[in-house]
Amino acid sequence: MRIMLRKGITLQQGTFTAVIAPEPVILSAFNENPDLGRFLFLFLCGNYSRILSRINRTSSNFEIRRPFTADQLLTALKEASHTVIFIEHDPTLFDGADRLLVPVAAALRDAGHEALVILYSEVMDRSFAALARHADRVIEIVHADEPAYRGQYQSSRPHRQDNVPNPSQKTLEVF
Amino acid sequence: MWILDSSGRNGVDLWYRDGSVKCRHHDYDPPFYLYLPDPPAFHEMIDALGDQYRAEACTFRTLFGDLDGFSVYAGRAVAEAIGQQTRGDAQLFNVDIRRDQRFMAEQGLYPCGSEGESRYSPDFRYDLRQVEIRIHDPPSRSTMCTEVELVHDRTELLRGREHTVAADLFSFLEAIDPDVILMSQADLWMPKFRAYALDRGIDIPLSRTGNYREMDSRSYWSYGRVEHKSAALIPDGRVLIDTDQSFVYHEGGLDGVFMAARLSGLSPNLASRLTPGTLISSYEVYEAVKRGIVVPFRKSDVEVARKFTDLQDADRGGMMFQPVAGIYGNVDEIDFTSMYPSIIVNFNLSPETLRHTGQPGFLASALEPLAALRMETKRKKTTNPRYAGIDSLLKWMLVTCFGYTGYRNAKFGRIEVHEAITLLSREILMQTKNIAESMGFYVLHGIVDCLWVRGTAVERLCTEVKRKTGLSVENEHFDWIVFLPLNNGFGAYNRYYGRLSDGSMKVRGIAARRHDTPAYIRTMQQEMLAIMATASNPAVLGMVRDPVYRIYCNAVQNLPCAPPTELAISRRISRTTYARRCIEGAAVQVHRDAGLEIVPGMKISYVVRDARTYRVDPEWTAERFDLSYYRGLLDKAWKEISYAFRWGGRDTCGEWKAQKDLWSSEHSVQQPERVADVCLNEPDEHFP
Repeated sequence: MRIMLRKGITLQQGTFTAVIAPEPVILSAFNENPDLGRFLFLFLCGNYSRILSRINRTSSNFEIRRPFTADQLLTALKEASHTVIFIEHDPTLFDGADRLLVPVAAALRDAGHEALVILYSEVMDRSFAALARHADRVIEIVHADEPAYRGQYQSSRPHRQDNVPNPSQKTLEVF
Repeated sequence: MWILDSSGRNGVDLWYRDGSVKCRHHDYDPPFYLYLPDPPAFHEMIDALGDQYRAEACTFRTLFGDLDGFSVYAGRAVAEAIGQQTRGDAQLFNVDIRRDQRFMAEQGLYPCGSEGESRYSPDFRYDLRQVEIRIHDPPSRSTMCTEVELVHDRTELLRGREHTVAADLFSFLEAIDPDVILMSQADLWMPKFRAYALDRGIDIPLSRTGNYREMDSRSYWSYGRVEHKSAALIPDGRVLIDTDQSFVYHEGGLDGVFMAARLSGLSPNLASRLTPGTLISSYEVYEAVKRGIVVPFRKSDVEVARKFTDLQDADRGGMMFQPVAGIYGNVDEIDFTSMYPSIIVNFNLSPETLRHTGQPGFLASALEPLAALRMETKRKKTTNPRYAGIDSLLKWMLVTCFGYTGYRNAKFGRIEVHEAITLLSREILMQTKNIAESMGFYVLHGIVDCLWVRGTAVERLCTEVKRKTGLSVENEHFDWIVFLPLNNGFGAYNRYYGRLSDGSMKVRGIAARRHDTPAYIRTMQQEMLAIMATASNPAVLGMVRDPVYRIYCNAVQNLPCAPPTELAISRRISRTTYARRCIEGAAVQVHRDAGLEIVPGMKISYVVRDARTYRVDPEWTAERFDLSYYRGLLDKAWKEISYAFRWGGRDTCGEWKAQKDLWSSEHSVQQPERVADVCLNEPDEHFP
């Protein structure tokens, strides 16, 4: 069982992979892979999934569980016996639950011995980074025409580069 | 023993009133409970727990049945370590229950009540010495108070230099020796008092032991918005209530605080500082301990795996019927009393009854007396206003009890219970709609637990609904009601106002009701509504159009001369940094520049000086304001009112649109009569 994310990037059963990618990439990987319907698929997400409603879920093998705490995520991972386990990362699960980052990462790894485990997020954050450290592979996909992802902790305020004139400036800066 | 205060440091201290206020100490060091699915796998850990602390094999009762495990006589840190070492395999119980609350629940005691009295009685009495301290200085910008009003048997006004006022205040408090202190912004002033006292080597005479318990500040999400709770210093042996920040006091007064303490088993000091959600959660914890059920430390039971269609069917929320925007005469609002709690009770919904429907559910049985008490206070408050505070508190606790079934940290919550409640509520609202229509009523609008209908013999409808659904309903009659439109012209669900049969106005979602509306604009809309309230039926509503419009004209005319403080916008900030420039971000920055510590959930008040360039001033320094920005807000508020007169809805006031009848004549039996008919031929010359 394998899922092709992009040409040349394939996810295989028996691995734990952390994926950072734009939502359309991950959606097309699922929706354009009819073979997925043949396998038991577990979708784990928090209270507010960004992609669940856009995944083709007609298959009867597609199951959903929504853990609302890191403890519940741990339980769900330990109980999972699916071929594909997809976790839409929700950083709020780990608010005040840093103690569970290592156990959850270990559970992801354990599950990845048998299943294809994908930990997905559109952007990197602290808890995702901690979990991804235990992954077999970390894949980050960025659109060629888009600027590389700027981390959450980087200022997103517009800032001026020294050698680039401010577009709103109407006069010369230096005389 | 009338318990005034309690604390759980090194045992339990109960402060009770018996002539004077006395303290009784109880040695109490209860265990927590541990369940391991495979104990031999952790035999070394169990041995170590037995050696270092005290661990005994025992059987304890959980919500889902008995478990064989261990009672461990150690604190939370040990429980955390067990959780870490077992990598989440261990199930822990009764770890984080407040010691004083657990002691009282086990002993059948509760605060603010006499022996032999029912905990659920709203008729409790108390004989306590009270003082109210009103400090007129702004706490965020003052180091110490300079103007204080002290209200007890008489009112003392203390004014002068900082240290003089504080010294006088402390002397008065020492002399009065109050049991209850109601203080404005108490939680912001107390740290200043403490710093002042430390500086001078004196004691603040608020605590009866000289000790204070500390509560940390925190920001948290509640119903989609960020709230902030200040840190608090809680005195021993006295009740100190922050009259400005306590939601429970604001809603329920002192009676409400005491009732919250009685129900939750927490001291009134704590009960006054908690949200209704935490109170209902504490109430459930108290009830569980009282019944011998252990309380889970961290919930690890996740929802069952579901197919997408099953999830889609289950996870739908409450039912809404969209209204057609317009003005309607003779409308009745049928409202289910405590619908969600009643569903929980009537349908025996609880996490453990989802699969074993036959057994009585903990949640349902715990909420039953609370729902019954709410019915009682709701009935009694109509004749005795003393019950209004308790009723309001119960209303909020019962409202949040539903939300807590889906809350991730709720001790006795489970998402499937949450979904079952909303599923039943949808069915009940549909059933009610069908009953109403079968009896010849026209359904105008519906939101989750209430319907707006037109027709005759509404009492008969209420009786029928009650008989068929098993839930209590009440109705309010509107002489007329306005359902406002959305931008696309369809009716808004939550923006309406109308005149009730007692002559008062019921207003929802418009400027007069919103918290961030500047006082100047709110006053304008309230004056308009007051005039509109004189119109007893839709036909007369058209006649008050002129005076209402004049209020608007005067407001526009006087706007340039309005005091800037009247235009202050108060908002609860959701974040402290903003990626893009915006007015709220600018307001946060100016408050920060003024030296205030900004935290999410905090309320700030500002005046917009120039909206185009995002310039704002804190309310207390504002001298100018952006006229066009506030004119925009004023016009928006006017638009909400002018809709009732079918104004064109544009800023230019020259237009008068004839009302169009949206229903065709074939609906003549059930179609609602619309105000339109009244206003059709009003002359334009009434309006400039």
